[in-house]
Amino acid sequence: MRAFALALVLVVALTLVVGVAALPPHGDPSGPVHTHVGAHYIEHGVRDTGLRNLVTAVLLNYRGFDTFLEVIVLFTALVAVLALPSATRPRRPGAPADDGGDRADAVPVSPVVFFVVRLLAPFIAVFALASLYRGHVTPGGGFQSAAIAGALMIALGLVFGRERAARLVPYGARAWLQALGPLGFALVAFLGWRLTGVFLGFPADEAAYALREAMVVSLEVGIAVGGAVVLAQLFMALDVRA
Amino acid sequence: MTLFGIDLDYVACVVLFCVGLYMLVAKSNLIKKLLGLNVMETSVFAFLVTAGMVEDGQEPIMVAGSAPPFTNPIPHAMVLTGIVVAVSVTAVALALIAQIHAHYGTIEVDELKELP
Repeated sequence: MRAFALALVLVVALTLVVGVAALPPHGDPSGPVHTHVGAHYIEHGVRDTGLRNLVTAVLLNYRGFDTFLEVIVLFTALVAVLALPSATRPRRPGAPADDGGDRADAVPVSPVVFFVVRLLAPFIAVFALASLYRGHVTPGGGFQSAAIAGALMIALGLVFGRERAARLVPYGARAWLQALGPLGFALVAFLGWRLTGVFLGFPADEAAYALREAMVVSLEVGIAVGGAVVLAQLFMALDVRA
Repeated sequence: MTLFGIDLDYVACVVLFCVGLYMLVAKSNLIKKLLGLNVMETSVFAFLVTAGMVEDGQEPIMVAGSAPPFTNPIPHAMVLTGIVVAVSVTAVALALIAQIHAHYGTIEVDELKELP
């Protein structure tokens, strides 16, 4: 097995090195990757989309379908994980523990970890909010915010126990919050269809500036909140009992 | 910086890819295979982001004070998509591995093959 793996890796490595050697030098602004559609986006992006952060413009506007399906992929992953019999499903608060109580509470946590997580949690939360709120003029946005907030919820779940961390997401709203990414996208997509005649279209004229902003903000908030809840839920669901 | 005329950034991506591929093929522990897959994914993301870089480029955010050259926004958006898909794949794979462990008590491929 090992010899086969080494031979395979060698063949793949040689192929890749030969391919990579033919690439134009990295960072050269006249390379083909920078002179076609990328240059067009940089030149016309702000006028076309009204978004100043061009990564967001590509993500939500030029390649909106891609991102729509991407949030559906994330949601589908959660559905698939929860559908497996070994997954730990979220319980209604106050419901009796199914077996053996809360595993995360039973794991001893070092006082150092406890202190550090408690100390940093508010700052991480502010960072997540800031990267969402300032995402249009600084590097950041919905997905980044979702990753930071999801990581925060996972850290809190590890230190304070699943049960207490789960209270961050109200049980009744959880089903809707998990699906907020795809739902927000679907709503905005159909609204765009109604307004412009194109699925996921954004009204282009100057008068619709506020509406366009509102649509983009809804998408970003949906991605951030939905993504964070899905990430935390994925982690909690994987807390399987041996 | 180059190595035998090839950009070192690209060489690093190839090395990372091959490390991941070796882990994926040679290891029999399913968790280690999954780690290998993640290392391979990371190398692809690094490669794409590297390809989007421009010498002395700024982040492509059009605010007061930003001036060309800008880095290419498309690889960034594509890698963002890729990361989300990688997270989804990892989560589902981990859940399946946990399921396998709950059923058969092992996650070693060679032991699983010998099961009746």
